[in-house]
Order: sequence, then structure tokens, then C-alpha cells
Amino acid sequence: MLLSSEKKTADMRGTYGDTLVELGRDDPRIVCVGGDTTDSLKTKKFGDKYPERMFNVGIAEANLVSVAAGLSIAGKIAFASTYAAFIPGRCIDQIRNTICYPSLNVKLVVSHGGLTVGPDGATHQQLEDFASMRAIPNMRVIIPADAVAVKHLIKTIARTPGPFYMRLARPSSEVIYADHAESFEVGRGNVLEDGSDATIIACGLMVGRAREAAEELRRNGVSCRVVDMFSIKPIDKQLVVKCAKETGAIVTAEEHNIIGGLGGAVSEVVVEHHPVPVRRVGVHDTFGESARDEEIDTLLEKYGLTATEIAKAVLEARSRSRK
Amino acid sequence: MGFNMRYLDLKRKIRDVRMWAIQGIAEAGSGHPGASFSAAEIMGTLYFRKMKHDPSNPGWEDRDYFINSKAHSAPGFYSTLAVAGYFPPEEIKTLRKLGSRLQGHPVRYSEHQKHHSVPGIEYSGGSEGIGLSVGIGIALARKLDSEKNKRNKVYVLIGDGESNEGQIWEASMAAGKFKLDNLVAILDRNRIQQDGFTEDIMPLDPTKDKWAAFNWQVFEVDGHRVEQIVDALNKAAQVHDKPVMIIANTIKGNGIRHMANNPQWHGKAPPKRHTEVLLEELESECLIAPSIIAGERENYEDKIRKVEREGVDMIHLDVMDGRFVPNTTFFADTIKKLRPTTSLPFDAHLMIEKPLEQIQEYIDARCDIITVHAEACTENEFREIQERLVDAGISPGIAINPGTDVPKWLYYCLHDLDVIIVMSVNPGFAGQKFMPEVLPKMVALNKELRKHGFKGYVEADGGIDAITLQQSYDAGARIFVAGAAVYGGGDIHGSVIQLRHKAAVALEKRLLNHATQLNIRPDWMKARKHILIPYANELGIEEELHVTK
Repeated sequence: MLLSSEKKTADMRGTYGDTLVELGRDDPRIVCVGGDTTDSLKTKKFGDKYPERMFNVGIAEANLVSVAAGLSIAGKIAFASTYAAFIPGRCIDQIRNTICYPSLNVKLVVSHGGLTVGPDGATHQQLEDFASMRAIPNMRVIIPADAVAVKHLIKTIARTPGPFYMRLARPSSEVIYADHAESFEVGRGNVLEDGSDATIIACGLMVGRAREAAEELRRNGVSCRVVDMFSIKPIDKQLVVKCAKETGAIVTAEEHNIIGGLGGAVSEVVVEHHPVPVRRVGVHDTFGESARDEEIDTLLEKYGLTATEIAKAVLEARSRSRK
Repeated sequence: MGFNMRYLDLKRKIRDVRMWAIQGIAEAGSGHPGASFSAAEIMGTLYFRKMKHDPSNPGWEDRDYFINSKAHSAPGFYSTLAVAGYFPPEEIKTLRKLGSRLQGHPVRYSEHQKHHSVPGIEYSGGSEGIGLSVGIGIALARKLDSEKNKRNKVYVLIGDGESNEGQIWEASMAAGKFKLDNLVAILDRNRIQQDGFTEDIMPLDPTKDKWAAFNWQVFEVDGHRVEQIVDALNKAAQVHDKPVMIIANTIKGNGIRHMANNPQWHGKAPPKRHTEVLLEELESECLIAPSIIAGERENYEDKIRKVEREGVDMIHLDVMDGRFVPNTTFFADTIKKLRPTTSLPFDAHLMIEKPLEQIQEYIDARCDIITVHAEACTENEFREIQERLVDAGISPGIAINPGTDVPKWLYYCLHDLDVIIVMSVNPGFAGQKFMPEVLPKMVALNKELRKHGFKGYVEADGGIDAITLQQSYDAGARIFVAGAAVYGGGDIHGSVIQLRHKAAVALEKRLLNHATQLNIRPDWMKARKHILIPYANELGIEEELHVTK
């Protein structure tokens, strides 16, 4: 069973903290660098358990990721964590030159990505990170869809040498996967639901919306495949091509600018290997805005990040499909 | 000071580093000579003396780490690694070229980057202000992994230009917080950045106060004096619960006079046709060693302090036993008492019988160079002396009297011979006249010894004044013992200036001649104009210089 049978929510950040503690127990090389947000990132759990392996450098992200680089040079597996607005926002240079160029064993695990950050507003709503991280050689970009994926993928990136960027969401989110699901390989996507008329390729919190859209479309007689493409880089090229061939139309959905993220990555593959109509659902090259926690669904609606918007895009893509 | 420095061998290796670096930059047609030269003594002292590292096993777990944050000093860094034995120095001529392992800014070595790097490089630099943070990460990891007494040190070289970066101060705070006493940062304070002088672009002073305020233990040194760097590094090892900052006051471009302290040479390559002349200049570095027995034989401390203020390079100590030579001066006990007076290297010249029997006393007195007389020992005795000195980190030397030829056995001891004193008076008395007949002997000896692998220095001793200094310089000497010429006239300041001036004139003359031979005289004079102006009269080039644009 790949998918969760019950409807429930879980916290990605809490899972991250717990998983880090578990990893730290088994491997003394696991260390963590935080930036005055350890409570928020739940890396504090790791720090409480292993205080000598937790380094809080305060509000200094350039230093944070570079210290992590140094730790990895001396043989550690370094997790570097704060808000997505600041890693990579404030330290792309350090990530590029100091971590990615020599392909150091640093795992950038950040939270508060996308519009769902809510009340803090646009300055804290990171919407360009997939694009910037994806463009740097040696970096791999992983966007888990739920807490179960987080648990497995944190373990995967810990044992896979080299740099990773992983973005988590602030709010508790719908659990997609069954607890014991283990289908989380870097460079592979998961087909959550099969279908033949179009494919929705989504990541992060939009995977839930993609499933809702598929459900809605199914009721209207459109059979939609749903793919969780948690590995934006390396992307599952084979799966994307297969979906293009078999379903003839693709819609991407991400909590990110439509420029350069998942939509970009999928389009690149489709255009080069099997051109079919593609529609990208995401934030349309604009900044977000504040919204109280109870208004977040309305905020997503305002910026077009809904199941309805995805369903519309599917119909549009299908209408141009030659299949 | 003293232990493990082997002063002259260290000086010579650093000179080689500069020579390789300038060849690399000239071949590449771009690169940063300024920073390579300001940091040459810092990197050389670390790699050739202080750091635990193994060129044949760069990943050795117990190594000390070196992070070159001011990575534009790459030519100097590569040359240091090459001279230390990480790769063949000849490869430096591929610097910055397509397909070279030596990238414009150094790249961390790994299997994955082996075509763009050389073993021994830990960190990919180039973007400024990052290396100190990386050093903190390494230092934190090493604290987790090793017991306190065998903890590896992490040395980070930073620049004053890059200290504009906020990240330097983020790192500074963090190192203080984590009490990283296994971290030593060295600031190459050359006061020049790309656009000009640091204090005009973005003032850094009061530098020392800033670092101290960030909870660092701060030492300040002349960054071109290896003895001061060694001293500060030794002190750094004794600091607990605090990171150490060594502010090394340096001169950007030090070693090539027209590049020195000139912002234009931050990131510019010299024309390739100048290379040979530049190499000659670097090879020509000369050291002045006042002999304190000259003049009144009292108040040695005072005499040492007076010449130290004038920036001499070392203190020459003439030890005479009344048997090997008719006169008696002082012995190891006096040297021991003088040692705390200065950090300048002690150049002890033992004019004594049976030097092997007393050598330990001079080692214990913390001399930096110990020279014994060829006439006073057998081959076996000298070999033992040499071995003991090298083990103790002291430069071994041999001296020959005017009437003596070098013994044949010396040719088997050249590998670890750092200096040969060619006496130009008969030793035993101060104030004698220079014997010009030693000049051809010096020339021939220098040539012959070099042919057999001698890499050390020739030292001229006896009757050296402004005139004979030039003559012995031309004959190949690079260390000059000056007694009466410094202390004789009462004006020590003026005398040292006069000696330096004469040495400079001799150098400029040689370089001009070399440029003439290479058919680049006008071009050389143009590059060198602001240096040549004060010597124009003595060099007889006033008119020629006037028309040089």
C-alpha cells in the first residue's frame, strides 16, 4: 500500500526533528547547524538530545551554511536549517561556491516555503528556491509531499553523499502516504493514481490539491494520472516521458513561481523528448501577501493554487492534445 | 624564535615560492601577484614549518587544516604546495590555462574534481569572506572527534579587503561563542584592495580592537618576518578557550620593488618578457646581520635593540675562544642572556676549537643559525653537528678562512647546508680591512657549490662596508655581516640606511644590465621608473630616465 488509507494531517517539521534524532542516534557523524529558528524547524529536538552536535550560529545564514560546509569537510554529515526565505535566500553564493562546487556533504533542509507561510507576508514566502537551487550543478532538489515522505527522504539524503536542498511546509498537511511506504528514491517520482487522459505532476503541498483535482475530473469523465514528483532534480525523466506518451497532456502544480521550478523542469523534458501540451499551475511571477492562518485557503485561491485551477488547466491542456 | 624554524632554509623556500608564483602569473598573463607576495611568509611558515601535514598523504586524519579564504592569492598558494612537495613546481606554468589543474582560484580536491585541483586543497575559494566560517565548521568537527591534547589546528588565512564582507564578522562572533581554541586566523594586513587602499575604500582600523572585542586573542606581527610569525604561532598554541587572530602587517607585492605597496598590482600580471629580471630580483634578496662585537664590547642588549629598530635582518654573534682565534669574546651563556632581547634570528659564528663538544650549549641558547669553522672539525664531526642542528630546527653553516679552501668532504654535506661564510679577514679581531682577493674565490666557490646542489646562502664576513658589500654582492653573497660599518661611526641609523642604499643601487644596476641584455631596457625602466628615480644619479641614468615615459 502506497497511499494512506485514513484522512489525517501531520507536521513535516516535527517529523524532520524526530528523524534527525533517530539518525543522530545511529550515526555520530550527523550534526546540525541552526540559525535562531531551531524551535521552529524542530531541530531543537536534536539539540536537546545531542547538544554537542547542534550548533546555533544565530541570525547569520551565510555563516550558517559555510559552517556546515566546514563540518562536512571534516567528515560530518551536516544538516543546515532555517526558513526557506533565508536559505537559500541570503546565501546562494555560499551554497554555489562553497558547497556545490566541491559537492560537499551538506543537507539544506528548510521550512516555511511558499505562500502557506501565511501571516508573515511576501518577504517570508519563498517562491523562487526550486529555480535557483535547481540551476546549480551538483545540487539536488527534493520537495516532500507529506510527513511520511519527509521521514523517508531525510534518511535517504543523509545516506546519499553530496549536497541536497529540501523544502518543508509550515502548516500541518494532509498525509498522502501510508506510514510504511518506502518508495522514495532520489530521481524517481511516484504515480499516486493512474489515468489515461492527462497527467498532473505535482510536488509538496500541491500533491494533495492535484489528487482533489483528479477526483473532480474523474467525476466529469476525465481520467487523470497523478504523479508526486518530489525529486525535482534529478527529475524522473523516464516517468515524465512515459506520462507524455501515454496521456498526451501534462499539468504541473507547485507552490512556487511558474518560472524555473517543477513546471520548468517538466517542460524541459517534455519539449526535448516528447512534446505534448503542458500547463503550469503556480504563482504567476508575482509576490505573495499576508494572510491569517484561517485565511490560507483563500490566499491560495487568490494566487491560483487550487484543485479547481489544476482541473481547469488539465481541461485546457487536453483540449490542445492530439491524443 | 629558535626552535624548529631553520631560519635560512625557510627563507630560501619562501624565496622559491615567490619565484614560482611570478613565473606562473607571467605565463598565465593574469593573476594576483600582490596577494601572493604579501602572504608568502605566512603560508610558507605554516606549510614548511608549523603545520602537521603530509604531501604523500594529503587526507591524513591527524593533519592540521589550512583554509585559504583570500583565494586570489592562488599563485602563491599553489607554489607553496608545490615547494612543500604536493606536486611538481613546473606545473605552475600551466596556471589559469585551459585544461590545467591549477584554476584561477583553488578548488577543493576530490576524485570528482581531480582534473581541476591538486591534492592538499581543502576549500574552494574565490568568493570573499567565506573561509573563516568554513574553518569554524572544521574546528567544531575536530573538537568533537579528537581529544584535547591531540587536536588538529585549523589555520585560516583571511584578507583585509575581504574583511569588508559581513560574513567575516558573523564568523568572528561564532568562533568567539564556541571558544574555538583550535582555530587560528591570520589576517594578511596589506592595506590594499582592488580599488585602492583599504582605509580609503572601507576602513578596517582599529583592526586589533575589533577582533579583541569579538573575544579573540589577538597577536600582531610583521608578516614578512618569519621569526615573528613562528613566535605568534607558538603563542597561539598556548591559548585556551579562545580563537586566535594573528594580524600580520604585510606589504602587498613584497619582493618586487615596483609592485610593492602599489594598488595597480593587485590583480595584474607582469609582461612575460620581464620574468627573468623579476626572478633575478627575487633571488637577490639580501640580509644584513650586524655583528655586536664591533665598537665597544659592552651593552650588547642596547646594541641589539638599536639595530632592531633599523630593521636589520638578524644579529651576528662572533664567538671567539682565545684558542682557535687569538681573541676571546663571549660564549653560550651570554647568548642565552641576550636571547629575550629580540625576536630577530641569532646568527652565531663559532670561532672555537672542537665545536662538536660545545654545540649543545649553543643549541640550548636558541641560536637560529650556527656556523662552525671547516678548519676546526673533521668530516665526521661536521656531519654530526649538521645532523644535530637540523634536528633542532637550526640552520647549519660552515665558515672558511681567507687562506683555506673548502674541504673536499663538504661536497657530501651540501644538501643540509644553509650557509657558507667566506671570511674576508682573518678572524680574531674586529675592525680589519676587507681582503679583495677573496672575491674571485667567492665567485668560483659559489658556482662550484651550486653545481653540486648547494641551495643555501653565501655570507660575507669581514670588513664589509658600503663598497665591499657591493663587491661581495656581485660575487654572490646574500648575507652581509657588518660590524664597524654599523657600530663604528656612532650613527647607527645612518649607517644601516647607507648599507641598504648601496645594496639597492647594486641591485638596480644588475637588473638594468640584465634588462639591457634582454633588449628590454626602456620597457624595464618604464615599469621601474618610480623606483629608479632616487638612484638615477648613482646609476648614471638621469637623462635616460628623464625621457622615459
